[in-house]
Amino acid sequence: MPEMEQPKKVADRYLKRELLGQGTYGVVFKATDTKTEETVAIKKIRLGKQKEGVNITALREIKMLKELKHPHIILLIDAFPHKENLHLVFEFMETDLEAVIRDSNIFLSPGDIKSYLLMTLKGLAYCHEKWVLHRDMKPNNLLIGPDGQLKLADFGLARIFGSPGRKFTHQVFARWYRAPELLFGAKQYGAAVDVWAAGCIFAELLLRRPFLQGNSDIDQLSKIFAAFGTPKADQWPDVKKLPDYVEYQFIPAPSLRSLFPAVSEDALDLLSKMFTYDPKARISVKKALEHRFFTSAPAPTDPAKLPKPLRKQEGKASHDRHDAIRVVSPPRKLRRLMPERGKLDCVKSHVDKDQQAPMSLDFTILAERPPNRPTITSADRSHLKRKLDLEFQ
Amino acid sequence: MADFQTSTQRAKWILTPQKLAERYKVANQKAVQMLEKCGTTQVEVDASGSLTYPTEKVDAGDQADKKLKPLSVDEERFMRAFYEAKVQEVCSAFNFPHKIQATALQYFKRFYLQWSVMQHHPKEIMLTCVYASCKIEENHVSAEEIGKGIKQDHHIILKYEMAVLQSLEFDLIVYAPYRAMGGFVSDMEEFVQARGDEIQKLENLLKAATAEADKVMLTDAPLLFPPGQLALAALRIANGALGVVDFDRYLENIVSQPNYEHTASELTKFLDDIESLVKNYKYPSEKDMKHINRKLKSCLGHSSSHDDSKKREKRSKHKSHRSSNDTPNGGAPVG
Repeated sequence: MPEMEQPKKVADRYLKRELLGQGTYGVVFKATDTKTEETVAIKKIRLGKQKEGVNITALREIKMLKELKHPHIILLIDAFPHKENLHLVFEFMETDLEAVIRDSNIFLSPGDIKSYLLMTLKGLAYCHEKWVLHRDMKPNNLLIGPDGQLKLADFGLARIFGSPGRKFTHQVFARWYRAPELLFGAKQYGAAVDVWAAGCIFAELLLRRPFLQGNSDIDQLSKIFAAFGTPKADQWPDVKKLPDYVEYQFIPAPSLRSLFPAVSEDALDLLSKMFTYDPKARISVKKALEHRFFTSAPAPTDPAKLPKPLRKQEGKASHDRHDAIRVVSPPRKLRRLMPERGKLDCVKSHVDKDQQAPMSLDFTILAERPPNRPTITSADRSHLKRKLDLEFQ
Repeated sequence: MADFQTSTQRAKWILTPQKLAERYKVANQKAVQMLEKCGTTQVEVDASGSLTYPTEKVDAGDQADKKLKPLSVDEERFMRAFYEAKVQEVCSAFNFPHKIQATALQYFKRFYLQWSVMQHHPKEIMLTCVYASCKIEENHVSAEEIGKGIKQDHHIILKYEMAVLQSLEFDLIVYAPYRAMGGFVSDMEEFVQARGDEIQKLENLLKAATAEADKVMLTDAPLLFPPGQLALAALRIANGALGVVDFDRYLENIVSQPNYEHTASELTKFLDDIESLVKNYKYPSEKDMKHINRKLKSCLGHSSSHDDSKKREKRSKHKSHRSSNDTPNGGAPVG
């Protein structure tokens, strides 16, 4: 019977397609929503056995995304349990900003950079307007749809803020995007932490490499101070009150211009405001969107015209190079994009035949081994959980 | 999240009184039919959220089954009222903030829009709602801790969690009147230009209104009115006793604000409705509960649930501490 040949639908609605990646708490696969005929991405989260019931990260993501509906926030279409797994159905996104930044074949014009930053800040402004802190802003979590629209994703660390005196954990964000107040152990913080991270993303778009690459929390502060100088008392009066504050040897601030030699005055001014030490004085997302950087020339590129990483079918032309660098490309980005570790080799060898190969393989065209990005490590995460257990006053 | 206007609560979980009555009736009827067809109403649940409905009985003429009488809509209401009060008891015992309690109550109320108490025992759902509320409100308490604290088997909580979340359609952010009340009181401070003594009086008003809001949360009002109106109703009730502000004048001030969606008379009507829900709130007597609970136990089917609890008992670490009354379907819930 022909019906028997049909792939089985998940929950009578979704036609399962290829694996997109392995997440920290499950797998992501591509699927077709038979109700709308649209392509979706389904995150499968293992259930059962856990002592603490349904995965809290998944629940945070669901509870936030159920309420957040915006053109620059990933759309959660559906959530349901099915065969020992919790399934989260998202709109399908083609790639992410990290892939764009890393792709050495892509030239990003000032208008392109402005467009990416504009979309990032619009999504973030909406979150802050709804009193939601993202707390994991990084290029890898900014997904890019087939129409070039950038959307904030991964709300597993997001929190509602605004209750006075409420304490949070400072173990949030991947280290390179962590604001200095978090590195000094601040427990009461606000939207400014997301702004710092957005500043790091802006800088990364300009430099085409992560801006402040600390290899430990202490080193991260050193990198920050090397870039902006140690904070002076009048710059950040409250810094000494922070729990983990330690005095650093005085480092004078180099001129911001020396770090970003090729950028416009407006860009430099916005950067300096997003990297203001004192979180109280740091520019808000709303104000950043009103900055003249966004109204002065060049205009932000139309999202549909933004450059995208080479897709598999287009990649055939660069076949040779593709092969040559396969060796140096490590199985990175396990979080969203890599196929299962064990299957990696077999997937790779089929890359050119498979028109629908996972987008992760785009990285194999990178000629250079990019730095390993720290995410919140499992050690950090267990720390985070402990903190969350205790933080309610 | 501070935007009730775009919330799932406003879009999906605030009903008209007619609709609410209908939902309760439909849930009851489904269970009644199940009892007729299958001789039991218990819907089994597992941790991955899959449900097992009772199977139709072959022999319809069984004498024992004939005695089974379903709960009426009103009896279901009593059963829910009893366990909603338990939510508040459990939350106070743990010293949880009002928000946790209010969220747990909302979850419990929403759950029983889809189900009859005859299908899922309200004690189990009550505990699961408290656990889920703590989790979602980022006041994490382990299921084991909750179980230990009130001498209940925490495996039940974990077993029901997914089924509860799914029945809530994963709309997990809920709005309670408490924060809105704080907002109104600081607004009142400005409105009456309070100083010294008056500020203290307003603080007392907020305290009294918080207790009134706890009562409002036990009625159907949270399924019928937005949290802002619940907050105003609680404040008005408290102010009726304390006489701190000219409430009518304050309401006029509210409706005169640009874009306010109701007239003064509409708003007053809503507050009257909420107040009458509080006045007409009925809590079952011990006698009522004994009777209803006996009926519920027979609907849920003694034998099957007995086996089930035995299985759980083997897995539980503290079986020696548990008396037979602690098994999910055993014992009168009174006390």
